[in-house]
Amino acid sequence: MSRKLPHPGSLVAFAILALVAGGFIALATAGGERPTLFSIGPYLWRILTFSIIQATFSTILSLALGIALALALARRRFPGRNAVLALLSTTMVIPTIVAVFAVFAVYGRSGWIADILSFLGWNGSFSIFGYPGILIAHVFLNGPYVARILLDSLNVVPAEHWRLASALGFSPTQIFRHLDWPVLRAELPGLAGLVFLLCFKSFAIVLALGGGPSRSTLEVAIYEALKIDLDFGRAAWLSFIQLAICLTLTGLLNWALTRPPTAHTIRGLIQRADVKSRSLKLFDGIVLVISTLFIAPLALSLLSGLSNITEIWDGDLVRAFVTSIVIAALAATIACILALALASAARRWRIVLRSPRIAAFYDFLPNTLLAIPPFALTAGLFIVIRHFADPSSAGLILLPIINGLAAIPFAYRSLAPQLLTTEERYGRVAASLGITGWNKLGIVDWPALKRPFGSAFALAMALSFGDFGIIALFGGQDLITLPYLLFENLGSYRLDEASAIGLFIVAIAFLLAHVSGRLSYAGD
Amino acid sequence: MLVIENCRLTWPDFSANYTMRVKSGTLCAIIGPSGGGKTTLLHMIAGFEKPESGTLTFNGQNILPLEPAKRPAAIVFQDHNLFPHLNATQNIALSIRPSLRISDDERSSIEEVLEAVGLKGFGERKPGEMSGGQRQRVALARALVSGRPLILLDEPFSSLDPGLRRDMVQLVDDMRRRRPVTILMTIHTPEDAADLADQMVFVADGRVIASDVPAAILGGSLAQKIAAAVSNT
Repeated sequence: MSRKLPHPGSLVAFAILALVAGGFIALATAGGERPTLFSIGPYLWRILTFSIIQATFSTILSLALGIALALALARRRFPGRNAVLALLSTTMVIPTIVAVFAVFAVYGRSGWIADILSFLGWNGSFSIFGYPGILIAHVFLNGPYVARILLDSLNVVPAEHWRLASALGFSPTQIFRHLDWPVLRAELPGLAGLVFLLCFKSFAIVLALGGGPSRSTLEVAIYEALKIDLDFGRAAWLSFIQLAICLTLTGLLNWALTRPPTAHTIRGLIQRADVKSRSLKLFDGIVLVISTLFIAPLALSLLSGLSNITEIWDGDLVRAFVTSIVIAALAATIACILALALASAARRWRIVLRSPRIAAFYDFLPNTLLAIPPFALTAGLFIVIRHFADPSSAGLILLPIINGLAAIPFAYRSLAPQLLTTEERYGRVAASLGITGWNKLGIVDWPALKRPFGSAFALAMALSFGDFGIIALFGGQDLITLPYLLFENLGSYRLDEASAIGLFIVAIAFLLAHVSGRLSYAGD
Repeated sequence: MLVIENCRLTWPDFSANYTMRVKSGTLCAIIGPSGGGKTTLLHMIAGFEKPESGTLTFNGQNILPLEPAKRPAAIVFQDHNLFPHLNATQNIALSIRPSLRISDDERSSIEEVLEAVGLKGFGERKPGEMSGGQRQRVALARALVSGRPLILLDEPFSSLDPGLRRDMVQLVDDMRRRRPVTILMTIHTPEDAADLADQMVFVADGRVIASDVPAAILGGSLAQKIAAAVSNT
């Protein structure tokens, strides 16, 4: 590689910034009648109020479920506990549109609850649209995730502290106050911020379960402005506001997440001194039963597709499957290659050029991508290319790019540390032998990078494969992905087909996530 | 007198069987190879590990059935003795009352013991604001304040540098003059305690191989015996 050329990572960083900036400049300068912020004020205010209220309640309920479940699981040992822990980690990978199906299947008009009630002779009706459906779906996806994270943190409390607690005769209250609460208090601000951001940005769940124009998030509002009203001016305003809010929230989140390093763990399982308390036993029992009643039906409803899975095989499904896989593979390729370029630029600045500040910029860039709401970005890019391509080809171009950009932070997290490690170990040897550039990548880095790269690729594919985001904008006769097909079936209440497609999506997403997990752990 | 008779503990990959005696008021140093069962011995006395058979008495009382909190022993670990969210005074107060509601008298006795371990005026500091040696002093102070007659120190100074370690052993020795306590202390480097300990116990492979005055353990033919025992493990 010639020394005159800029580092590929610099080009990638520049390209990403140019893409994002281009999108927003296009939005800002989009032609046509431009509404003022004032004219959409009342509408905007309604959406913002709804978004904040639903995200706040989703966060509170997810944290409440997560905390109670984490403590109960930390205190109790029972047969099947490991299976429960595995189940908790999997809800992170369940695509949002599949969660929507689960809510329909259990709580919907002809769902399990309605069946049971009518069997018991109840003739009334209830609607899950609006707050109930949205909250159920958000808590189902986020509560178990919170529980899993908190449980891992609770396990980090040093064994000595547990021995001290029993040597000093702590009561259950004192154990909570001195052992559990300090851990929870350190984790909660970050988790609360993350869950709030996810729910505030929520798209598929709110689109499908909102049930009314004013019950939408900004992402849904941008979608409606672009797809239904073709009002690019409104989409522009909404996108800027969404971007401002999400960047602020992410900034706050980064600030909240700087916490002191935790103590290292000591081997062996520790018997907690509070397991014998009668009232805690009762409390944990109630928590476990309620959590099971809430999570299990939603999770099991996904299996109901098993009986219909043979009936959905037709041309549409195969086409949707191939499209989804191709888009996911392209997105994963984009995410991994761009993340690798950025990470190697960061490494170069940190170790070779000794400029940690510039290296920190490269580390920071992937995280800002998390804050950029996909619809806001897509809106601008769509305006740019709508003159050159019809919606379905525009979708084929934009879907891998947007999904790929969204997966960069995850890919970066698994690639960057590995690159730093190989540099620390072999950097000097490589330098003295004169191995540089692509040769260095191939000979020195790649052998250590293969597994994390594979892991990142599989995870990026899993995320993209199940994603029901901007495909809503581009989907139609000519462009169908599996999540889009599921959305269409849900829209027309074909729950049998939906159940089979949902199961299919979840199975593939789990498989990819599993591969990713295997590759990331087995390397150590 | 602490009397341990044939206390057996078994795990899939390790088994131990302890028999030993320690006279009241003694400073007893426990040495031996790592993985040989020194810590397990202390954990058994403290009540964290339950032997399947054997007897364990202190001053004639059978303490085996007692929960850790009810045993006459206070324990100090190598690390993580203090809760990071509580200051030194609160960490010590835990051994008086875990609810932290302490009287003025108790508060002044905590200040007294902080002074005794050389930490006068450090009461408001949290563990994060103290050095490793200072944190271990706070842990010792807590063991002192607890009023329990048996103090178990599990490699309490192994993570400190040699000069500091020596000071700490001196401090442990001084503790005995403040009130009559029996101290069992596992250590990595026998020299640290050779002249201060009254008794030295060599533990390897889950057994008490030798128990005598330090000079006898560290010199002469016994040393060869111990070396042989170590090479066998």
